[in-house]
Amino acid sequence: MDEMDFTSSAGLTLGVELELQLAQSHDYDLGRDAAELLARLARVKLPGAVKPEITESMIELNTSIHRGHATLAAELDVMRDAVVQEAGMLNLRVCGGGTHPFHSWSARRIFPTERFKHILERYGYLAKQFTVFGQHIHIGCASGDDAVYLVHMMTRYVPHFIALSAASPFYQGEDTSFQSSRLTAVNAFPLAGHMPFVEDWAEFIEYFHKMRALGVVESMKDFYWDIRPKPEFGTVEMRICDTPLTVARAAQLAAYAQALAKWLLEERPRPARRAVYLVNAFNRFEAARYGLRGQFIDPFEERKRPLADDILDALAGVAPQAAALESADALGALAADVRRGYSDADWLRERFAANGSLAHTVRESAARWAGDKPRASG
Amino acid sequence: MSLGFLPQLPPAFGQPALFGALLLAGLLGGEGVRRLLGLPRITGYVLAGVLLGPQVSGLLAPGALGEARVLIDLSLGLIVFELGHRLDAQWLRRNRWLFVAALAESAFCFGAVLAVLLAFGFEPLLAATAAAIGTATSPAVVLLVAHELRAAGQVTERMLVFTAVNSMLAYVALTLLLPFLHLEHAMSWREALLHPLYILGGSALVGFVASLSLLWLAGWVGKREDRQFILLVALVVLAVGAARSLNLSVVVTLITLGMLARNFDYEHVLLPLRFGYGGQLFFVILFVLTGASLEFTAVPAVAAAVGAFIIARYLGKSLAIVAFGRLSGVRPATAGLLALALQPMSGLAVVMVLDTAAMYPAFGGELGAVVLSAVAVLEILGPIATQFALKRAGEADPAAGSA
Repeated sequence: MDEMDFTSSAGLTLGVELELQLAQSHDYDLGRDAAELLARLARVKLPGAVKPEITESMIELNTSIHRGHATLAAELDVMRDAVVQEAGMLNLRVCGGGTHPFHSWSARRIFPTERFKHILERYGYLAKQFTVFGQHIHIGCASGDDAVYLVHMMTRYVPHFIALSAASPFYQGEDTSFQSSRLTAVNAFPLAGHMPFVEDWAEFIEYFHKMRALGVVESMKDFYWDIRPKPEFGTVEMRICDTPLTVARAAQLAAYAQALAKWLLEERPRPARRAVYLVNAFNRFEAARYGLRGQFIDPFEERKRPLADDILDALAGVAPQAAALESADALGALAADVRRGYSDADWLRERFAANGSLAHTVRESAARWAGDKPRASG
Repeated sequence: MSLGFLPQLPPAFGQPALFGALLLAGLLGGEGVRRLLGLPRITGYVLAGVLLGPQVSGLLAPGALGEARVLIDLSLGLIVFELGHRLDAQWLRRNRWLFVAALAESAFCFGAVLAVLLAFGFEPLLAATAAAIGTATSPAVVLLVAHELRAAGQVTERMLVFTAVNSMLAYVALTLLLPFLHLEHAMSWREALLHPLYILGGSALVGFVASLSLLWLAGWVGKREDRQFILLVALVVLAVGAARSLNLSVVVTLITLGMLARNFDYEHVLLPLRFGYGGQLFFVILFVLTGASLEFTAVPAVAAAVGAFIIARYLGKSLAIVAFGRLSGVRPATAGLLALALQPMSGLAVVMVLDTAAMYPAFGGELGAVVLSAVAVLEILGPIATQFALKRAGEADPAAGSA
C-alpha cells in the first residue's frame, strides 16, 4: 500500500499524543532517563502506548482511539498515573508544559535511534533546541478530501488552540514574554508552517510527489506543519498545542477540536478559502505572544477582534455538537478559563512570582501534573 | 641600622601559603595528567600529593600533614554534606527495594572483605575494622566525577545514594566496633559503651540543630542563590568546627546535616545545591592531601592481601547490586555499571585509618598498610572506573570534557 493512500477512519474519532518532560528530583533540571523509564513501562499493561522522543529527557504518551471525551480523559488519567508511578521508582518527576523553563539545550542528548540521529545531523543545534513539548490531536476522517477540507478550515482556529494550551512562558532560564515560546522553536524548521492551499486529496498527492521528486521531503513525517493530514492513520493531526500542565486540559482541548471538526465536516458551513492563510501568521503570533489577551483577525469576516471573544463565540457555536458528543462540560471548562483570562502560562508565571525560583516552579508543575493538591502554605 | 621588619630566614609559611601551594600543585598535576596521559584529573591531584608527600620529595612533612587536618576536615565536610543532600528519603520510601539494595550493598561488601581478611589470618576485631572502612565508597571521587561529567541518570543518582548509605554505615560500624577495641585496651565498660554513643548521638544532634538553623535562615534570606550559598558554606564550616571541638565525627555530623536539610525542607525554602567553582577548591585540596598521605612502600609486601581486599570488595558490592537490580527498578546492564562506579576509595578511608590508628596503634601496623595500599591502588583505578561507568551508561553530558 502506498503511504499516501488515505486509510478511512470512522468519522470524528479522537486520539492524543502528549510529549512529556522528565525532570530530576534534586535540581528539577531535565534528566536523561527516558530509556530506563521506557524499559520499566514496557512491563506495565497500558491502554495506550509510551514511546521515546527525540531527546532522552522526553517521552511521548499515545492514547488509543476514542469516540469521545469521557473515555479519552479516563484513559489519560490511567496513563498519567502509570507514568508518574514508574518515574517515581527512578526518582524522576514528570511534567507538562511546552518548554522546560531553564534547561540548557547544549546539554541535551539525542535519543540514539537512526531517525533521531539523522535529524541531529541534518538540523544541528535546531534539533536540540527542539527539546519542546507539544500535544498532538488526531481527528479521524472518512476520506482524504475530508481531511484536506478539515485542515484548511481548522487553520482559522489555530490561534484558539495556541492560546488555550499556552504553557511555555519560560525558556532557557528567561521569561520570554510569550505565552507560548515553544512555537518559536518549531518555526525555525524549514518545513514548518502550513499545508499549501490544495483543493482536494488528489491535488495534495500531486504536491507531495513533486516535493519528494525535488528531494525536499522523503515522507509525510518531514512536514512539521501546524495541521497536517496523516493518511496512514486516516486522521488530521493538529500539532500546535503546548502540552498542558494537566491531562484534564489535554482532554478538553481534544474535545474542542472534535466538536469543531464535527461541525465543519457535517455542516460544511463554507467552502475552504485561501484567505485563511493570509492572516494566519499574524494570528498565530498574537496568540503565541499574548495568549488569551491577543487580537484576532477573522479571515472570513475580515475584521479584527479580541481573540478571547472569538474563542467564546466559537465554543458557544459548537455547543450542539458538544452536546451530541457529550463533551459540553469539557468545553465549559475551557470557556470558564477564557472568561477569567487564565491559562497554564499564567499559572507558571504566578508560581514563579510566588516562589522565586524556576526550579521550584518545575517542582510545583510536576506536582500539578501528578494530580497532587497544592499545599495550603504554598 | 636595624632591619627588624624583615622576616627570619628561612621564613615560616603558614596555612595560607600551604593552602595556595596545594591548590597550585593539584591544578598542575591534574591538567598535566589529563593532557599527557588522558587520565581523569583526580589522578593528577593525587599524584601531585604523592610527589609533595613524605614518600617522594618530603616537601609536605608528616607534621605539615597534621596541620593540614583542618583543611581535610573542611573539604570532607563540604563533600559529605553535598552527598547527604542527595539522599532523598522519599525515593527510598517509594522504592523500598532500592533501600534494601543499598543496605545489602554495604552488608555484602563488609562480609566479603571481612571473610577475606580473616582468611589471611588477621585478628577478627581488626579485620572487622578494616572491612568497615572498605565498605565506604569515596564520596569525593564519585561527586567530583559526576560534577565534571555533568552526569545525570540512574547510575549517577544511585551511585550517590549508595555512597551516602555506605559511608554512613561504614562510620556507624566503625564506631560500634570502638567498645571492643576499648576493652582490648583494658578500659572500663562504662567508657567503652559511652564513647560510641557520644560520637554517634552527639554528631547526629549537631547535624540536626545545624539543619534546623539552615532551613530557618534559608527561609528568612529567601530564594537567592548568592545568599543561600554563603549561608550553606557558613553553616557547613560551623558544623565542621563544632564537630572538631566536641570530639565528634565530622563525617557523621555533616552527612546528617545534608540529609536532614534535604528531607526536612517541607516548605521548600532551599534552592538546588550548587557549590560551583568554589566547591572544586576543596576537592583539589582533599585529593592532594590524600595523595600525600598514601603509603606505596608497603604495597609489594602486602600485595596478595591488597589484591584479595579489592576483589572481595568489588564482588561484594556487585553481588548485592546485581541481585537487587531488577527489583529496585533498573536493567541488569545499569546495575553492572553502578557496581563499577562504586569502587573508588579515597580520603574518607585515609581519615578513618588515621583516626583508628591514633587511638589504637595496633591497627596502624600491617592491617593499616593493607587498607592504605588498597586506597593507593583504588585512588588511581577508582576514578577511571567511575568515569567509564557513567560514560558507558550514557549519563555524561556530551558537552562536558573528561573528569
